[in-house]
Amino acid sequence: MTSTSAAGVGHPKKTLDSLTLRYLVLIGLILIASVGFSMANDNFYSLTNIGILLRSIAVLFLLAMGMTFIMLTGGIDLSVGSNVAFAGGVGVITLTATGSAFLGFGAAIVAGMLIGAVNGFFIGRLKLSAFMVTLATYALARGLALVIYDANSINVSNTTFLWLGGVSWGNMPVVIPFIALVFAGLSVLLYKTTFGRDVYAAGSNFNTAFVLGRRPERTLVWIYVLSGALAGLSAIITVGRVSSGQPWAGLFLEFDAITAVILGGTSLFGGRGKLLGTILGVLLYGIIINGLVLTGTNPYLQSLIKGAILLGVVLLDNYTQRGKAA
Amino acid sequence: MKLTKTFAATAALATAFSAGSALATEDALDIVFINDGHVAPYHVAWLTGFEDAIKAYDEAFDDVEVTGRWLSAEGSLEKMIQQAEVTINEKPDVMFVNAINVDAFEPLVAKAQAAGITWIAVHSPMESADYSFTLGDVVNGTNQGMAMCALSGGEPYKVGVMLGQAGNPSGEARREGILAGIATCDNVEVVAEQPADWDTVKAQSIAENWLTQYPDLNAISGVTDGYMYPSIAIAMNSGNTDLEFFGYDGDIPIIQQMAEGNVKADILLSGTREGWNFVQMAYRIHKGETPEKVYDFFTPLVLTEENHKTALANGFPEDVQVYYVPQALEVAAKGFLEFGPDSVK
Repeated sequence: MTSTSAAGVGHPKKTLDSLTLRYLVLIGLILIASVGFSMANDNFYSLTNIGILLRSIAVLFLLAMGMTFIMLTGGIDLSVGSNVAFAGGVGVITLTATGSAFLGFGAAIVAGMLIGAVNGFFIGRLKLSAFMVTLATYALARGLALVIYDANSINVSNTTFLWLGGVSWGNMPVVIPFIALVFAGLSVLLYKTTFGRDVYAAGSNFNTAFVLGRRPERTLVWIYVLSGALAGLSAIITVGRVSSGQPWAGLFLEFDAITAVILGGTSLFGGRGKLLGTILGVLLYGIIINGLVLTGTNPYLQSLIKGAILLGVVLLDNYTQRGKAA
Repeated sequence: MKLTKTFAATAALATAFSAGSALATEDALDIVFINDGHVAPYHVAWLTGFEDAIKAYDEAFDDVEVTGRWLSAEGSLEKMIQQAEVTINEKPDVMFVNAINVDAFEPLVAKAQAAGITWIAVHSPMESADYSFTLGDVVNGTNQGMAMCALSGGEPYKVGVMLGQAGNPSGEARREGILAGIATCDNVEVVAEQPADWDTVKAQSIAENWLTQYPDLNAISGVTDGYMYPSIAIAMNSGNTDLEFFGYDGDIPIIQQMAEGNVKADILLSGTREGWNFVQMAYRIHKGETPEKVYDFFTPLVLTEENHKTALANGFPEDVQVYYVPQALEVAAKGFLEFGPDSVK
């Protein structure tokens, strides 16, 4: 974006838009955190640790990308973590019953989409509060998971089912190239299709979008279904990582996803944000968590540090927004 | 020539310093504890005991540098897995893991052992682990249940039992024990069972509901002392001075309540004691000792002397290890008395 100062008519002054500034800040923080942790612990930059870091944030990448779509419309999804457990349970039960990993994959994704569809229907069609609806499905999905699992884990030995979450090529978890493909696909969806434009339109001004015939209520339904599908994929990765279906999988992940999306610059009020920012937010969050573990930081301090970073970024965002308005 | 001399002198100095350092500390013991949380009072006591013990052992033994780290997964299975993976890469000597679900950690046990790390499963035993540090939850729960029977005086006695988290082996084992203990008599009736997910706030809500729903409730039993704090407070605030409490953990404030009469029995774990025992166990293993593969932490029942006599008169088994309140308070606060460096010298 370019602006022209009154004094310099022949020399337009280029200023950075707030999102670009946010990305530069995030990249700076990532570099500072990485250098700092590597000085505190030699293992930080080891290939093994980088592989562990990437694997640990794979699920968060997926959930955060889904959350980005939702938050672009001004919404929120508190059910994603519980959905991971529920979808995983359905997938594992299907695998156990049929012996087919692909049926298990399909069942997990469809189960995730089902919770998403419930969210989308109540929020998009019936226009209920996203916070209240997804708070309810947060409890519903977790309860369903506990029922499916009978509160106990189920061991999984099917190597095909475990492949995505459990296998590495050397130190590179196979899930990372998969995440990159998902990111590419979602980027095309968001930036190159009508649906993507409808997402931004719904977030910028829902009523205007409605009046213009963009059918934002339908868009809302589909973004929650998308979030649910990504939760289903996350469930498959989680089962692969721990070689078992877990009724308590995904606990509190929704808060990590929301944190990463906010860090990445997506506005809570909708209409502003990009997937790239979310990726940077997830990366920063993951590096901090990894580094705090490596340095053996006291758990009480860890919560403080994470909160301080989030507050700092939010304040920076507020400052740059005010500067832009001025 | 000058440069060569300088280089040689520097190298000699460096070697001397290194040799000096090596002579000062020939051996190192690095212990990592990975827990599911750090907020519950019991976990706070664990952390304190563990850190104090690390410091004490490091100071007590010149020939071993003892270091330790405590990691909290804040209730998240995914975080706990990550912490375990990162820790394995760090190659400590011993890992204590209080797994949210043991099945999820099976793949990591093998990785740790391949890296030469001793894996000790905490509370929930694992066949694949090098050792399991257990609490004898079923036996302890049974003792609590039998104490209810013996102290109820044969009269009809209604109790609500607050449970752990669905699927958690430790909580399930405590429940099994409590119900088995209660089953040894006819007059104690369990009118309600509810999981509180190890959450003090949920326990408060459950206690409030029970006092409303069961106005003739005689006692609240819990699988952790964390439930007792809000339950006692709720009872006091509502003026119910007859309600009795049966705890599990040996938290000092709860044992202190025993002297005032509301708390009838507790199981002496004490997070502080346990934290010290972890370090003692790791040290013993490091020095070549081989504990039992399933190591049972010594956890006596706590009663007042008067109540113990009453219980014995009502048929309470004599072979159950009981500590009276003063002894329990001392041992709960001072983990070094049983598990300090002097215990291994």
